[in-house]
Amino acid sequence: MVLEFKQAEKRVHDSVLFPPFDLVLSAASVTAIQSSVNVREDLLGLLCGQGSLSHGELKWGEHTRSGFCFLEPGLYERLSVTEMLRFTRQLHSSSEPIASAMRQLHLEPIQHAKIKRLSYSEKKRVQLACLVLQNPSVFILEEPDQNIDLESRRIYLRLLQQLKEEKKTVLILTGNLESAVTAADHVYKLDDSGLHPVQLEQDVPDTATLLDSEETVTPVRFEKIPTKVNDKIVLFNPPEIDYIESSEGQTFLHIKGESFPCVFTLTDLENRLMPFGFFRCHRSYLVNLQKVREVITWTRNSYSLVLDDPTKTPIPLSKSKMTELKEMLGLKS
Amino acid sequence: MTISWKRIHAIFMKDYKDFSRNLAVSLIIFLPPVLAAFYSRTGNGGSIETYYMVINMAFGMVAAFVQSCLIAEEKEKNTLRGLMLSPASTTEILIGKSSLSLVLTLLTIALSALFSNYRPANIGLIVLALFVSAIFYIALGTMVGLFAKTVMEASLYVTPIILLFSFGTMLPLLAEQYPALQATAYLPNIQLLEIGTKVERGGSFTDILPQLAVILAWGVVASFAAVSLYKKRLID
Repeated sequence: MVLEFKQAEKRVHDSVLFPPFDLVLSAASVTAIQSSVNVREDLLGLLCGQGSLSHGELKWGEHTRSGFCFLEPGLYERLSVTEMLRFTRQLHSSSEPIASAMRQLHLEPIQHAKIKRLSYSEKKRVQLACLVLQNPSVFILEEPDQNIDLESRRIYLRLLQQLKEEKKTVLILTGNLESAVTAADHVYKLDDSGLHPVQLEQDVPDTATLLDSEETVTPVRFEKIPTKVNDKIVLFNPPEIDYIESSEGQTFLHIKGESFPCVFTLTDLENRLMPFGFFRCHRSYLVNLQKVREVITWTRNSYSLVLDDPTKTPIPLSKSKMTELKEMLGLKS
Repeated sequence: MTISWKRIHAIFMKDYKDFSRNLAVSLIIFLPPVLAAFYSRTGNGGSIETYYMVINMAFGMVAAFVQSCLIAEEKEKNTLRGLMLSPASTTEILIGKSSLSLVLTLLTIALSALFSNYRPANIGLIVLALFVSAIFYIALGTMVGLFAKTVMEASLYVTPIILLFSFGTMLPLLAEQYPALQATAYLPNIQLLEIGTKVERGGSFTDILPQLAVILAWGVVASFAAVSLYKKRLID
């Protein structure tokens, strides 16, 4: 046990921010908590030692040292990258070598650049390098991959893998489910109804039987998918749909950046939309393969699909589904 | 509690690099020496009052202004939180953050004295008095920095302080006309002027002790206020 939330509960002005929950973080694990901004800021304040819980407690393991990577970069803009890292190292009396931290985050090409000249993604990497130099046992990251470029995201995900191998604990606080699912092994959703685990690995035999039944039964299908918008029922053509996301038992169709709740479960939709080239890339995602532009391999076990839309929406792709996808694409793995 | 000089040194070096590249703030340290040279060359200088007006201006512009900007910038750029969460203690952070302003202040004053041809009769006593005064102005600058949210705000708040303590050196001249101003005799800048006058007349350490005690009292009060304000900022 490195960090434990024990019946932690927070109320603000008679309204519940989050009801009591228990959560234990152990070594060598990456945990993500997906929540609203209010909850995230409150949790961070709590972890920094500012603010307090309404009830319950936060227990740190012995010899646990925490390190933070906030959303705001918080770097000295007039220093160069090397000077910033050297300062962090001295301030934290750390013995970690600067060169290895720089290599891990690919900062060597920009090591002599002033921080104010760097792009946002590069600043984020400098910030992560500072955190690596502090060598804490718990890494607490606030929205680590928000607004960063693909290259930085790949570096960040590789860093997480490495931290796990070094038996570190990582806690990611984010509002983005996709980011949480791609990075972490354990994903939770925290809101005013409590802490809910988000299932990551789907049970493979279950879907296999579904596929079998799909081949034998050929029911009559509606072509359109109904969604409910303010008591109206809107019908969508399957090729219009970008992807479908399931969140807390409710499915949402994503069409041109907008989302519409749908009454069917993801499994129902999967069965209906299979012939239209939809693919269950993750336990809680069904994607229209026609809209997929790229398949990105972050590390050996984490993948994302990138859609061909203006925002280049990334969709998580689970490891076991990767093989299936390769088969569908006619690639031999 | 042990103080790690390595951390203080790290903060000092970081501030030094940061400051030397920040022309908006660093240029001001040249103002008092330039003013001193100007006064002495135009023939207005030469009296102990003008020497001390420039010195007090250096305190306001360098110790208070630079210190408040350094602290306010840490707040503005969200780097103060990083310092507070680091293993460095409050004492280490505050000493580290004050050391650059202290060095700069003493350097500027030395330059100003050189340019205005001020040669104190007893350098040791004057340096002691200047050092004690510097503590007060730096603590004042720290308070302004913690109070302000941005560098812009800090430099605005610090302006009346510069005015009061530099041109305020002339306040006792007005005290004859407005008796209410007599209380200003206890201001640290005027006490410093008194020390300067006494030393010029050949005063010894015991002669300047009351003035030194008053300045030290100002410094201690300001330091306590600065530390408690910092602790308050630590919580929210």
